[in-house]
Amino acid sequence: MGADLFEVSVNLVKMIIIFVMMVQLVPLLVWVERRGSAFIQNRLGPNRVGPLGLTQLLADAVKFIFKEEFVPEKTKRFLFYAAPVVSLVPAAIAFGAIPLSLPINIEQFEMFGSTFGPYRFAFQSFEVGIGIVFVLGISSLGAYSMLMAGWSSNNKYSLLGALRSCAQMISYELALGLSIVGILLLYGTFDFATMIDAQQGPLTFMLLGKEVSVPFLPNWGIFYQPLGAILFFTAVFAETNRTPFDLPEAEAELVAGYHTEYSGLKMNMFYIGEYGHMMAASALMAVFYFGGYDIPFLSPDSVRETFLGWGLSANKAAIATAFLFHVSMFAKILFFLWVFIWVRWTIPRFRYDQLMDLGWKTMLPWALANTIITAIVIYIMRTNWS
Amino acid sequence: MDVSILLFYGLATIIVFFALAVVISDNPIYSALYLAITMVTLAFVYFLLKAFFIAGVQLIVYAGAVMVLFVMVMMMFDLKKEKNSFSKGKFANFIKVGSAGWLCGLIFASIMLSKGMLPLANTNTPQAVADTSTKELAILLYTDYIFAFELLGLLLLLIAVGAVAVSRIKGGTHE
Amino acid sequence: MNSLVPIIALTIFVLLFGAGLLFLVSLVGPKPKNSSAKNSTYECGIDVQTTGHSKISVRYYLTAILFILFDIEIIFMYPWALAYGDFIKEGHGLYILGAMGVFLLIFIIGLIWEIKSKALEWD
Repeated sequence: MGADLFEVSVNLVKMIIIFVMMVQLVPLLVWVERRGSAFIQNRLGPNRVGPLGLTQLLADAVKFIFKEEFVPEKTKRFLFYAAPVVSLVPAAIAFGAIPLSLPINIEQFEMFGSTFGPYRFAFQSFEVGIGIVFVLGISSLGAYSMLMAGWSSNNKYSLLGALRSCAQMISYELALGLSIVGILLLYGTFDFATMIDAQQGPLTFMLLGKEVSVPFLPNWGIFYQPLGAILFFTAVFAETNRTPFDLPEAEAELVAGYHTEYSGLKMNMFYIGEYGHMMAASALMAVFYFGGYDIPFLSPDSVRETFLGWGLSANKAAIATAFLFHVSMFAKILFFLWVFIWVRWTIPRFRYDQLMDLGWKTMLPWALANTIITAIVIYIMRTNWS
Repeated sequence: MDVSILLFYGLATIIVFFALAVVISDNPIYSALYLAITMVTLAFVYFLLKAFFIAGVQLIVYAGAVMVLFVMVMMMFDLKKEKNSFSKGKFANFIKVGSAGWLCGLIFASIMLSKGMLPLANTNTPQAVADTSTKELAILLYTDYIFAFELLGLLLLLIAVGAVAVSRIKGGTHE
Repeated sequence: MNSLVPIIALTIFVLLFGAGLLFLVSLVGPKPKNSSAKNSTYECGIDVQTTGHSKISVRYYLTAILFILFDIEIIFMYPWALAYGDFIKEGHGLYILGAMGVFLLIFIIGLIWEIKSKALEWD
């Protein structure tokens, strides 16, 4: 985690800040969702409590905290309580593995009379070399909290909802996993930071062994993998159990799915998990297809030079640059989160057999076709034919 | 002491504890959940050994797919009669004692066998592939072991056919 | 090891955060008044007909096991995709394309067979 006490404590604080940021974004997103859905449906939404209804979030939080602690009879108590807590873990760890900005290089400096050596702080909770595989593996663990909640509730609607959402999740995980193969073929790396580095600058690609450059477009993955991007984003909707794929919450047949018996903060925790999953998915979408923290036509080095020109010290310039690029990444994440909300209030829910058909008979073959076409095109383009 | 050694012993203790819990717990669903924890911890051990791709595969395939299937299937059945028939009676006791003896034998044999084996391992064995990067793994897999790799595809197809056939069988204890 | 410590630390922190929050909140809320009607699980307002643990369609099992098989096949594409560029650079592009082509052909045959055999139908 670090060589000395300063590095270790900075890394720990950073990790906790990123987690708290994820948790704190949830009430804000709930507000955006309620206001947004209201405007989509030609209503006003919560607008009484505070300016624009913003303090509604606080009122909701207080309500959640002062709810009665209720557990129905014949439940498996331990699992019943463990399920909402466990649902937080996959989202938090997956989100922590994604770089939110450039790493900050700190040169030697003096503080409290002692010198601290040069550091390199990554703008993420931790760096894993196998980024994609790790995030995919961790987020597939989300099925356990659903199954635990569904089974421990001792309610047939809960169990049915859990089994349905679990079957749905694993079906779409195939399309998700396959759509990423195209990205791997393109960049040849598992690491997120390397992938983002490859997307800097103008659109540049190999055409029959020669390099071609299009100066007016950024070098983002979406231009190479448009079909892959659509498949990935659709599969992610099913993974996070959002409408049009929120079968676990088909009220008419399953009441409220796997969290039928949950109330108060325990229920709220499932929502934190769900929104955390959405944030991780949005961040992945940005990293894979929209250049991550890249700002088009603006290289990190030139930004740092500008900051240095304003008279900032080298360390401050590095921090300022990282935060500027973090704003870019965050804007992309917020955009995709808005798309999640937008789609939820626009498209109706699928029937269960339609949903499974879409996953297995439409998206899986298309993802397969995407992989094969990408492989063949890359082979033709990158081979030196002369 | 080195941090990685400390981490290894911590993780190993968790693995052994939950692996024992799998066997001791009399509720099959709890057993399956304990096994899932064991699988995730095992992925962390692979991480510790710098076998990153294997760790990811362990998470995706074992923790994220196989154990989800186990837990799902356990929850699908109403296991009451089956639980009794497997945990009581002379036959079950015989199996319990027999498998306990077998386990002791396996532990003893593995200690005896691995005593001489550990220093022998060198970088040319397939086990050492895990130490090198995933690309080297890929080069080995798609050149030297290409035949086995294609056969594996065929094997997976056969399993798929078999699974579909098994699910169509009528009768048995579950009507 | 360098990245394992923070992963484990974050996992423990999140678990403690969730459990601690649940514990603290359980202290402030009103104490539940129990009655048999309130404590029973939800069943549209009538007495509980069947408990949660009943027998369920074999389709879920089939979906899960087919998922595992395809998941393993997809996992085998990851190292291939990773090393693909290197193989092309060394001039072995056609070989690696063919090697995965055979594997993908088996994959596609499997997928077509499963769709034709109606193993993926939900009625």
